[in-house]
Amino acid sequence: MNLDEALQTFITESRELLEEMENALLNVDLAGDQSEAINAIFRAAHTIKGSAGLFSLDHIVAFTHVVESLLDGVRDGTVSLNDEMIVLLLSCCDYLSELTDALAAGRLEADPDMAPQGEMLLAQLRRHIEGGAEESSEAALVLPPEPGVERIDQEPGHSDYWHISLRFGREVLQNGMDPIAFLRYLTKLGRIVGIATVPDAMPPADEMDAELCYLGFEIAFDSNADRDAIAGVFEFVQDDAEIRIIPPHSKVSHYVDLIRALPEQGARLGEILVRCGSVTAHELAGALQQQSERSEAEVPQQLGSILVDGGNVPPVVVEAALAKQKQVSEQKAQESRSIRVDSDKLDRLIDLVGELIIAGARTSMVGQHLQNSELQECTSALSGLVEEVRDAALELRMVKIGATFNRFQRVVHDVARELGKDIGLIVDGEDTELDKTVVEKIGDPLLHLVRNAMDHGIEAAGQRLANGKPAKGMIKLNAFHESGSIVIQVSDDGGGLRKDKILAKAIERGLIDPERKLSDSEIYNLIFEAGFSTAEKITNLSGRGVGMDVVKRNIQALRGSVDISSDEGKGTTVTVRLPLTLAIIDGFLVQVGSSVFVIPLDMIEECIEYATEPGQDYCNLRGQVLPFVRLRELFRLGGAPTRRESIVVLKLGNQRAGLVVDTLLGEFQTVIKPLSPLFSEVRCISGSTILGSGEVALILDVAALMHSVSGKGKVVLAA
Amino acid sequence: MSETQAEQGSASQLALSGELTIYHAAEVKQQVLAALRTGPVLELDLSGVTEIDTAGLQVLMLAKQTAQAEQRELRLVQHSTPVVEVFQMLDLGAFFGDALLIHA
Amino acid sequence: MNNVAISAASDLAPQAVTYGSSAIVALQSGAALPSQFLTFMLSEEQYAIGILHIKEIIEYGSLATVPMMPPCVRGVINLRGAVVPVLDLSARFGRAPSVIGKRSCIVIVEVAGGEDEDKQVLGMLVDAVNAVVEIAASDIEPAPTFGTHIRPDFIAGIGKFNGRFVILLDIEYVLSSEEIIELARGSVATHLS
Repeated sequence: MNLDEALQTFITESRELLEEMENALLNVDLAGDQSEAINAIFRAAHTIKGSAGLFSLDHIVAFTHVVESLLDGVRDGTVSLNDEMIVLLLSCCDYLSELTDALAAGRLEADPDMAPQGEMLLAQLRRHIEGGAEESSEAALVLPPEPGVERIDQEPGHSDYWHISLRFGREVLQNGMDPIAFLRYLTKLGRIVGIATVPDAMPPADEMDAELCYLGFEIAFDSNADRDAIAGVFEFVQDDAEIRIIPPHSKVSHYVDLIRALPEQGARLGEILVRCGSVTAHELAGALQQQSERSEAEVPQQLGSILVDGGNVPPVVVEAALAKQKQVSEQKAQESRSIRVDSDKLDRLIDLVGELIIAGARTSMVGQHLQNSELQECTSALSGLVEEVRDAALELRMVKIGATFNRFQRVVHDVARELGKDIGLIVDGEDTELDKTVVEKIGDPLLHLVRNAMDHGIEAAGQRLANGKPAKGMIKLNAFHESGSIVIQVSDDGGGLRKDKILAKAIERGLIDPERKLSDSEIYNLIFEAGFSTAEKITNLSGRGVGMDVVKRNIQALRGSVDISSDEGKGTTVTVRLPLTLAIIDGFLVQVGSSVFVIPLDMIEECIEYATEPGQDYCNLRGQVLPFVRLRELFRLGGAPTRRESIVVLKLGNQRAGLVVDTLLGEFQTVIKPLSPLFSEVRCISGSTILGSGEVALILDVAALMHSVSGKGKVVLAA
Repeated sequence: MSETQAEQGSASQLALSGELTIYHAAEVKQQVLAALRTGPVLELDLSGVTEIDTAGLQVLMLAKQTAQAEQRELRLVQHSTPVVEVFQMLDLGAFFGDALLIHA
Repeated sequence: MNNVAISAASDLAPQAVTYGSSAIVALQSGAALPSQFLTFMLSEEQYAIGILHIKEIIEYGSLATVPMMPPCVRGVINLRGAVVPVLDLSARFGRAPSVIGKRSCIVIVEVAGGEDEDKQVLGMLVDAVNAVVEIAASDIEPAPTFGTHIRPDFIAGIGKFNGRFVILLDIEYVLSSEEIIELARGSVATHLS
């Protein structure tokens, strides 16, 4: 799927366009000829809108459309450009920048946290379009704009409610206003979910003047009204009160700012905010902890330490906050500096590195042959450097699977709606890296597996509830590295696979011999056979019977394997195993007869010299049973085994098996040359490589080998 | 706003009735504080309160804070409906710590 | 090493002649029909293929066998850094595998892959390579329905030159990946059982 790359291009282009827009705005000469600048600005907005449309980024399209309308008006003279408008447009630029950043961070949908800001800008844009210049009377009621893009505590708070902070002036009562009356009026717009009355300003009894107001209120307010409407409630006390309104889902940093701005003591305020439900103790602690560690030009906050030392926040919460901070700063670093590289150039580089490795190997061989110590020293140094270049080049190709996984949020959301089921997606292991070519090609098979799980795995809500499961189904995507491969799992907590149905269908389709006894795993894997589908109702998405076998083929084309396990009634897990890189391998050479084979080095545990008796299929390795297979036999290579054979002990997961070969030839790093699809049926061979001598050696697929060993040999459990 | 005071056992009692609003706030404040300081416990009967505004509320809150500061006890009892309404809207139950009888 | 110079095919007036299926397609699409052919020997019999697909011809060198493959897939060779499969034509025709002799060569060809696949480079093992000859379309006759030792669909036509008959092979069929993979599947299954 090239969506990621295209999206990246869009993001980079948008950033460039926004920069242009900003420059044009800053340089427009209000007195002189503005037309060129205006055109530039218009073009930028228009292009962004168009491109965003291609990606169905509706929130961006909608916003840019209004900006475009305003600029249109300026272009044809119905609206005249003034300072205020430029400031507004610059804010719009910033806002679009934030939206783009959100995109880059993987969020394709509109961020509800940003909506109020967007709404405000849109309202102002519209006002300008209608010709009225509006004096921003909201100044007193609106939080100061965020300084640039604050990445820390980026998570929106969990509050679905507005937060209103009120500190009434002393004279408010004498001026004939009653705060309680205003609060009563407020309840007409919504529901007060949580409220804390703040009497902190009240002086001791003898000093207190009963006719002055010392009260403040912190309110969590549930309402569909917009900010203007809420602010409007307090219109008449505007001058007599400090009113601060924080929209729902605002960043926790807003609350921190609020705490700073208010006169009362930080810890006390933290308590109050938590009590009225606008933030959780966790959020606040996290935000405060982060801020206190940043120690900017601001006065170092003691809020965090107060909260923690005061024992209000358990240490575990602080840990979580620290972890969160680390995650955020890592993300920040990752996004910061990148350049666009043509992937063809990258491939060419990898090819060249491969050739370099082969040439280096040949040189080393020659050096050894000539027995010239100075030359050998040089070739040794050369080999070391080549290895480093190889690693660095391969790094370039590795990308995190997180981007792919995150795309599935949208998919699950849309498909769930189509199916009328409530299904959520959990994603784990997003940082797991794999080769970019693999990432590109694994998208489609994974997509099909996810859709399949949603369609056939997850039962209807009614059935789930009847079975004591939560109505909401769960799909889980997981990725991790394991012995030289990357493992991707798609699990669901649905109904699981019905062995009996699968067996029946397979027999009906003539796929298996009814007499054969199959293991559970073999039965489950039948669904990967062509033409197989037990879906009773063929839905739009899958179940046409062409799905799973295509998925398996695609994965095998990547030299990967797929396996399926299930728990009837509980769920199903599909495990996809792929090689980490299609490019270069650290291998160990072995020889059988006249054939040379390469075994991936990280699958080898050890090598032992061993003479086998014919008929023996296992040996005793330090008290443990080691089943083995004779490569000569397996591959029908003919010839007689040498007298002194060796066994290469392979390890995959927690399985061990031995491979009997004639000779051990040593370590060897080289480029993997993919084998022609003609050889795709030979499961035990995963690729080929060219040795220093120019000969071709075949690379063994250890997983497949182990599989064949476990199929054949008798495994005796150690006592 | 009128107050009637009595002493019953160890608890002083004061009943407020009428409008507990800004017009009477200063006066009520004086009386409540005086009553508070007559003994260790003051029971404030609010059944007669017909109206309460911010100023009135403040007085009650001041009384509570003063009681705490002076190690006395203030109990609010027989909250009238207007008082209950305000206490509930502003979630003051915890602040005063009294049982709020909610009239059906 | 012989290098085959591939010159532009000359235009031929379309004639109603029956060739192999791929030739028919070529005729219908208006592409130039191959008129130059490489002739080679397979156990005493002469065959030919159009030069359009041929990339080069190399001597038989060290070849790595790939286990479990059917006899028609001889193994793989290193062609300037690329790993190229080599097919044994004799075995492909159902006969005994070729015996390597002094004149054995590998003809490297490029064929179109299946629907989604790219073009593939393959090698064909032959006993000896003769020459590139020109055979006019008028000298090509359709494949006989019987009498030849090999499958009719492998034959694009029978060409006549120098008074002798030469079997023109339909490369796409002979080197068809689909079929070979099918054969491999069977071969691997036999191996493992």
